[in-house]
Amino acid sequence: MYQRLFRCCINATVTILLAATLSGCRPAGNATPEAGGKTVINFWNGFTGPDGKTMGKMVAQFEQENPDVQVNMQLIPWGTYYDKLTLSLAYGGAPDVFIMQAARFSEYASFHTLKPLSGQYQSDKTPLGAQDFAPVPWRESYYQGVQYALPLDIHPIGLYYNTKLFRDAGIVDEHGDAKPPATLDEFLADAKKLTKDTTGNGRTDQWGFVITNEHSNWLTFAHQFGGDIVTPDGKHGAMSSPEALQATHLMCDLIYKDKVAPKPEGVDAWLALRQGKAAMAMEGIYMVQSLEEQKSLQFAGAPIPQFGPKQGVWGGTHLLCQPADISPAQSKAAWRLMRYISDHSLEWGKAGQIPARVAVERSTAFQALPVQAQFGKQVDYVVYDPQIPRANALNQFADPAIEAALLQLQTPEDAMRDADRRIDQLLKRP
Amino acid sequence: MARFLGQTQIVLHAILLLIAFLFVAPLIWMVTTSLKAPEDIINGLGAMRWLPHPATLANFHQVLTNVQEFPVWRWTGNSLFISLATTLLIVVVDSLAAFSYSRLSWKGRDKIFAMLVATMMVPGQVLLIPTYLLIRNLQWFDTYWALIIPAASSAFGVFLLRQFFMTIPKELEEAARLDGCGPLGVFRHVILPLSKPAIATLAIFTFMGTWNAFEGPLIFTNSQEMRTLPIGITIFQGHYNAEYGPLMAAATLAAIPILIAFLMFQKHIIKGISLTGLAGR
Amino acid sequence: MSITIKSTSLSSAKPAAVSRAAAPAAAPRRDDRWSGWLFALPHFLLFLVFLLAPTLFGLYLSLHNWHVLAKHHPFVGLANYQSALSDDIFWLALRNTAYFVILAVPAGNLVSLLLALGLAGVKRFATFYKVAFYLPVVISIAVVAVLWQWLFNTQVGLLNLYLDAAVTGLRHLGLPLAPFEPIPWLSNPHMAMPSIALMSIWWGAGGNMILYLAGINNIAPDYYEAATIDGANGWQRFWAITWPLLKPTTLFCLVFSVLGAFQVFGQSYVLYGGASGPGRAALTMVLYMYQQGFSQYEIGYGAAIAYLLFAVVLMLTGIQFWLFSGRKAKD
Repeated sequence: MYQRLFRCCINATVTILLAATLSGCRPAGNATPEAGGKTVINFWNGFTGPDGKTMGKMVAQFEQENPDVQVNMQLIPWGTYYDKLTLSLAYGGAPDVFIMQAARFSEYASFHTLKPLSGQYQSDKTPLGAQDFAPVPWRESYYQGVQYALPLDIHPIGLYYNTKLFRDAGIVDEHGDAKPPATLDEFLADAKKLTKDTTGNGRTDQWGFVITNEHSNWLTFAHQFGGDIVTPDGKHGAMSSPEALQATHLMCDLIYKDKVAPKPEGVDAWLALRQGKAAMAMEGIYMVQSLEEQKSLQFAGAPIPQFGPKQGVWGGTHLLCQPADISPAQSKAAWRLMRYISDHSLEWGKAGQIPARVAVERSTAFQALPVQAQFGKQVDYVVYDPQIPRANALNQFADPAIEAALLQLQTPEDAMRDADRRIDQLLKRP
Repeated sequence: MARFLGQTQIVLHAILLLIAFLFVAPLIWMVTTSLKAPEDIINGLGAMRWLPHPATLANFHQVLTNVQEFPVWRWTGNSLFISLATTLLIVVVDSLAAFSYSRLSWKGRDKIFAMLVATMMVPGQVLLIPTYLLIRNLQWFDTYWALIIPAASSAFGVFLLRQFFMTIPKELEEAARLDGCGPLGVFRHVILPLSKPAIATLAIFTFMGTWNAFEGPLIFTNSQEMRTLPIGITIFQGHYNAEYGPLMAAATLAAIPILIAFLMFQKHIIKGISLTGLAGR
Repeated sequence: MSITIKSTSLSSAKPAAVSRAAAPAAAPRRDDRWSGWLFALPHFLLFLVFLLAPTLFGLYLSLHNWHVLAKHHPFVGLANYQSALSDDIFWLALRNTAYFVILAVPAGNLVSLLLALGLAGVKRFATFYKVAFYLPVVISIAVVAVLWQWLFNTQVGLLNLYLDAAVTGLRHLGLPLAPFEPIPWLSNPHMAMPSIALMSIWWGAGGNMILYLAGINNIAPDYYEAATIDGANGWQRFWAITWPLLKPTTLFCLVFSVLGAFQVFGQSYVLYGGASGPGRAALTMVLYMYQQGFSQYEIGYGAAIAYLLFAVVLMLTGIQFWLFSGRKAKD
């Protein structure tokens, strides 16, 4: 029996091996520049959710209006997106157009893997310039004076609030509508009113506020007090600066002193907002659809309140980029696609983003989108992750420090000092 | 005396049965959870129920129908193909080499063998980064080659088979040589037929090891359609997050084939472990 | 990769036994010279390209500042090693790993030994138990970790549900116990590593159990008969016969468990999705290497960490070989 099985296995293996060899073992790289006279453009992005469907529609429309170009769009989950992109840029097989998030832009630009695009901007019949874009993402498309990207959108976080809980607690304006807080004092007063023990068992089960994303929330608080992860010159850690510490203490106080927020615990916090067990959360505009799916939930969006002395809100931007070694012909066709997507970014806005193009953002169609329009009020003071090549590497120290402070594993002072020491060490490394 | 023995046996059986239950229970629970409706999974009483009521295949349906994002069948095929191919390659290559190191004499043989054995000390993780760069340069990244060929470089199988081949009496070989057999003849007609148990052991353990391999497939592939089942599980995990119904269905799908294979071959596997000292993980 | 090497010495009674003697010194035959090479060649080439070369290449990488995207990879000497040794997260990872070894290895081996003793004592159904205990071993760590993540869930995990039920039951019986507070198995920094160790013991105990069982079965029954005639009870028989004669097996299992445990990676990786766990409590050396090498693309730094791991493993093996030979001299 043994023998027969063994032989069977061998036969099967040989058959499969042969089949695999004949069908070719998926050679790496994927550029097939011409297919039936058409220029083929490979376009990579990480929009695996509903936003990917919108992007797919825009691309299909582009193909219809540009019959000489064929676009192969590949959706790669963000979790492996940069792995794949990095490797393709380093070893070949890079796409002709790809999405780059603001937080990673400097890193890729610093290694000269992106194509300078100022020529493309200027060669268009109706050239685009600074006046056409919101200033923050426009600035982001430059690295050391060279423009490497076409900014597509801005996605700041904003305040989501449960309008029913607000009305129940009597936090309303003159029309009887729920009134979101605009200042720290209002925020605290509202949050206290909204924090309740609804079952009477001595445990809070409805929270005024939940921290759903420690990174973006901390950066928002920190920026409002004038703090950041690194010093303005990008050479040292700055998380233990007095300003950043003030922001950290404020966040910790929400949990432990004012007791209006639970300890942050990942998905459970966002779930709480969806379940109506939390009244406010600061999350990205891209989360709109997750709330809209929850049919029974009544919610609205508002700009982040002003907690500190100045305005500020963490945000991101999707940039459209090309690889440095793209051929001129490919680059031209790729630019047409980029330009088309940008020109039609109202569609993109409906999918849950704020278009970077000023004209689109100010259009009545966009202003009619309730949450997007509210969050859009913040675009002039959006702040990104640090604009340095090692920004992404900083998070391995920054995020655990924020977590340690918020969970009281360490005092804010100790946690932030540790983070700074590690960041300094990292930035010193060659 | 007999009654006393009977009593200790009963106590022993009771204890062993309890422990056996503890070892198997998580697996049973995995299967039952995969058959439960979502509300039963996150509510305490439903979660503790050992027979799903009502039982539903919805989780499996969810896992198996979203082929676009989770090509489960492809992952299963990948796992199967890679495991079979690796096993075949290792068995062929290692038995040839083991024959040479045990039965043929050539200059430098023992020195080279000593070097092979010495490299068995190198932890696999040391190789991950350099092998990864090597695979990139060979243009093997994200292909089957990357998951099959490097796995056959280990000296372990050679070591194992050589030890076994050396126990085969010299006289048999000499008789074959007198009959006019060359080295290949000796290998085919004397060594191989007598070494089936050892080769089967190596094959079974290589198969299980490859089927369950984690780090290599994680690092040497990155497209959805080149992943293996264990890596597919982590993709599910990232996607379904706290939705344990589909997650347990996926875990069940990944575990069932190897569990069945184990139950089929358990006698040989367990004998193989005691024979070779291979604990199989 | 996933085969733990458990070689030699165990199975002296079995035909496959691994003899310690050198290869039989066959009289060199002329035609063997070339065929010898030819037979060894396929494996040797694979070995050269995919084992020896990467091992040396890794050493080379660790001496360079090697970012995947960079065009040039400057030589930096021992700077990566210096960075690692002055990096407190590296030391934390080493400490976590050592903590895992201390938690998982002795307890795991004790479980394996007790199971084997139980199996050796049982007269029927031994195969059934063997299969049950070995079942978890054959499952991939990815499946194991996903499953246990669910068992460990604070609110609705089976572990907490049953502990809750048990505590409530005991309270009903009048025991003065505090009401059950759900245990944060994975989210508490102090609980993370013990939880991982618990899961690992469940996963791996069956493997060593079979080795212990083989060791026990190799002890000649005469010893026990003689001892029984002398009036020794079970406990005395264990200490006088089983334990001393099982010592080589025990040492052997311990050595390879330690080596395997030092390379712990999949557990943390799957349970925490590639992150380091609460307060970095689940960050092990291999996970740290993975993060540096494959998330940050600091290939050189990752390689340096890998080589430091290699050094630790080598040192431990040295110590254990020394222990082995120490035993040999006494026997």
